[in-house]
Amino acid sequence: MARKSKHSRPDEAFEPYEEHAGVPMPVNWVAIALTIWGTAMLYDTGESVQESLQDRAEDSDVVAQSVPDEGTLLFGANCATCHQPDGRGLRDAVPPLAGSEIVAAGPDIVSRILLRGIDGPLTVVGQDFDGHMPSFDSALNDAEIAELASYVTTRWADTTEATAQTSEEVASLRAEIGDRGSFGGGAELAMMISSLPDQPPMPARSHVQAGDQAARDLVFAGRDQVWSCASCHGDLGQGDESTPRLAGLPGAYIVKQLQNFREGTRENESMQLVVQGLSDPEMTALGAYYTDLRVPSTARPVLSGDLKRGEQLALQGDWSIGVPACFTCHGPSGFGVAPNFPGLSAQHAPYLAAQLANWVGGQRHNDALGLMAQISEALSTQDRRAVADYLASLPPVPAGGASMARMETQDDQ
Amino acid sequence: MNRYLPLSILALAILAFATLMLVIAPGMQINSRPAPEGLTPYSEAEQRGRETYVSLGCLYCHSQQPRSGDQAPDGERGWGRASVAADYTYDQPHQLGTMRTGPDLLNVGARLPSEGWHLTHLYQPRAIFDWSIMPAYPYLFDEKPQAGPGDVVVALPAEYAPQDGVVVATQQALDLTAYLQSLDRTYEVPADGLRDHGYGTPDGPEPTPSEEER
Amino acid sequence: MTNEPDDRPNVGTKDATSGGLARKAIFAAGGGLALVALATAAVQLEIVPRWLIGAGSEIDESAAAIEPSDLFTPPLPDMIPDGPFGEAVRRGEAIFTNTATNASDHVGNGLSCSNCHLDAGRHPKSAPMWAAWVTYPKYRSKNDQINTMEDRVRGCFTYSMNAQYSPTGKPPPVGDDIYRDLQSYFFWMATNAPTNVALEGIGFGKVEKPEMGYDLARGADVYQAKCSVCHGDDGQGQRDLNGDYTFPPLWGSDSFNWGAGMGRINTAAAFIKNNMPLSQPGSLTDQEAWDVAAFVDSHERPKDPRQSGTIEENRLANHDGDETLYGQVVNGAVLGQGTGPSAARAATMPKTQGN
Repeated sequence: MARKSKHSRPDEAFEPYEEHAGVPMPVNWVAIALTIWGTAMLYDTGESVQESLQDRAEDSDVVAQSVPDEGTLLFGANCATCHQPDGRGLRDAVPPLAGSEIVAAGPDIVSRILLRGIDGPLTVVGQDFDGHMPSFDSALNDAEIAELASYVTTRWADTTEATAQTSEEVASLRAEIGDRGSFGGGAELAMMISSLPDQPPMPARSHVQAGDQAARDLVFAGRDQVWSCASCHGDLGQGDESTPRLAGLPGAYIVKQLQNFREGTRENESMQLVVQGLSDPEMTALGAYYTDLRVPSTARPVLSGDLKRGEQLALQGDWSIGVPACFTCHGPSGFGVAPNFPGLSAQHAPYLAAQLANWVGGQRHNDALGLMAQISEALSTQDRRAVADYLASLPPVPAGGASMARMETQDDQ
Repeated sequence: MNRYLPLSILALAILAFATLMLVIAPGMQINSRPAPEGLTPYSEAEQRGRETYVSLGCLYCHSQQPRSGDQAPDGERGWGRASVAADYTYDQPHQLGTMRTGPDLLNVGARLPSEGWHLTHLYQPRAIFDWSIMPAYPYLFDEKPQAGPGDVVVALPAEYAPQDGVVVATQQALDLTAYLQSLDRTYEVPADGLRDHGYGTPDGPEPTPSEEER
Repeated sequence: MTNEPDDRPNVGTKDATSGGLARKAIFAAGGGLALVALATAAVQLEIVPRWLIGAGSEIDESAAAIEPSDLFTPPLPDMIPDGPFGEAVRRGEAIFTNTATNASDHVGNGLSCSNCHLDAGRHPKSAPMWAAWVTYPKYRSKNDQINTMEDRVRGCFTYSMNAQYSPTGKPPPVGDDIYRDLQSYFFWMATNAPTNVALEGIGFGKVEKPEMGYDLARGADVYQAKCSVCHGDDGQGQRDLNGDYTFPPLWGSDSFNWGAGMGRINTAAAFIKNNMPLSQPGSLTDQEAWDVAAFVDSHERPKDPRQSGTIEENRLANHDGDETLYGQVVNGAVLGQGTGPSAARAATMPKTQGN
């Protein structure tokens, strides 16, 4: 009543009064609305969680069904880019596995080749090849090598003998091989496999001097304002984390990068300081030094990237975002195509991802035609992690003519 | 309001329970873990360097706890994998830090393994990064007309080098550098590294479904 | 609002009235807020008809936006079925991407089908095979007859793959399994495509000849700036460390011969404009595309296998009216004489295969 009188007769003696201060209606409305909204959201989220759980379960079912065995996967990821999914190799370039006399020799030989790689001429199924098989010593573990060797022999060796290989056998092979380096070609294999047809003779392996003395001084001792290269890039140019692996990169590519640091088209403060103290001949000598080094991979996938996606980007690309396969330009298995396309395999994942970010961020603009800038732009952060991790998981560039450099350098340490 | 005793007891009980659950239990859990294989105790020089690190207050600008990819792009920054409790086995007290005015340093030894680089950078950060806001630590170095035997000369660009003579590192600078170089937790995450990844993806490749099924 | 005349101090009145107003305002605002919250919840849950929140116009927009992606999408490689047909599709794909190995008897150069038919024949405007499949059989003036897909592919082997320098010296014979496998692959890629329709993305697209025509000197500049980093200064492509071509040769004895479609400047210009540099389609102007296409096609390559008499006779018979430099004098030499096979290739050719 008091309220009514107040409204109807505001002019009469108005007494301040206190009435029961209930929660204002709007607050109630908001509370009710929020409750409804919250419940609805919970219901909605719960539903989508259910859905995604179900999706995931279905996905894993699909994966489980469509993955017959680990050997197929390993072969696809590690061998098929060169030997092809059907194992027929590449004419004049990569020996076939199908019908190969070497594969027919059994899983033990295949494991040895996987562990050591081949570096020299060989004849397979009547064709001559210049062998450049990488060593998977650092890229695959015992179980994986065993699985692969079993898979390859079971699939292609026309043999009735046992083709299974256990990881214990591989482990003992690994220990036996130690640091023997790559097979020198078919002739060396023929010493172990009596049934091999005639093999081309091994070329006399020249003892490669790893770089001239001036380059070695720079690498190991540095000078004035130049810290020694090895102090960051490692004794063998193997790099770490965001410091790149230099071993095996094309010499001309290394020289170009050093010049780009000087010109400012590639930005990195430490390197920009270093190149101030380097002359052109020294850069060339350093390029020649590192290109000759062959060292096992120390790179590992550490960015939690999706390796499957990384493999897809590297092997097939993703045309829906305008990205061609990495290997279209960087060579099969990312071994590089000198001089403009550096090897990517066994490069450190944080370094690779950082470079992709640098193309976008403008710290690097030294790429031909802006190819890498455009590709990096198209890749999401997850894609960059994925492809960097995948590339880090690959074996390093196979031994070339200079495979002895590694041992020599180690002797000097 | 005069039942102080039960109130106090209740309050203390709650406090004790919280301490038990948040401090004592985790402490016991962590203490029972062996040190990771890849982690070595600090050498004497590194330990002295660590004391310098603490005394200079590096902690106020540098954290020592890289985060996982779903929290921060530390991996791409090159700061390394997300750290786990076992990584700090020999850090007493730990130098986790909260501020990231400068980069995280838990893996600086892997990222920047060069002694020469660190000496230059400690003497004058601007010699390398002209935009750096890190203080210089010239008092960790001596200027000498000539390097004596065993002196470690600091590589400096002309504009920061003394007119004549050389800059050599004191033992304190060498120790600090040794400590920084020793900061390397890039080994594999120890099994059961005691890290709760919540809803994020754990570091390292996800186990494939086929592995889980086995 | 009260506006009765009043002589009393109207302070109280004003207070009371404005208090009521404020209350009303709070009620209105609160109610509004509640309504917004409710509406948001409703929209979140999608229990509101789309027309009510103006989503209808959105749909129209997205329908318009679909147009560029109206492109036919071939099935993905992991959708290849199991069984004998799937096997054939897989073999076909292997031949397509690794032609020199899987059809080695009939390939006389360093190319693969997928060098020009990008993304294993899936990429629009690089003559995707799903688009080609649904337009055959058809009449082609090139050989003045009705061509089946097999006939067409035989043409590819004859000209683009330069079968004359291959170990057999010939394209695969009629009815060869290579044709079956390749056609299985094309047919599978065209799953769900309409037949006898020029699908969007067919062929290499068309680039009209620019007003300024084409010029070899300008083309050489474009080549140096845009192409040489991959295809090499000498156009011979680049090989990886195994000796396999990573970047295909554009002219010379390991490239396509004078009878190939890519030897025509208009075809090459369209391919280049729409696909090159790889990952940067459309980055060249029409003029640049024509200039550089003419530059590439102004170099000697294996001879036209159709040539039986002189170059001039063959030019009149097979190249007349085409946009080609065949039979014309460039840098003092008549184009079309043909490069011989490389020594390695000659060793495997039938003539010298005496053993």
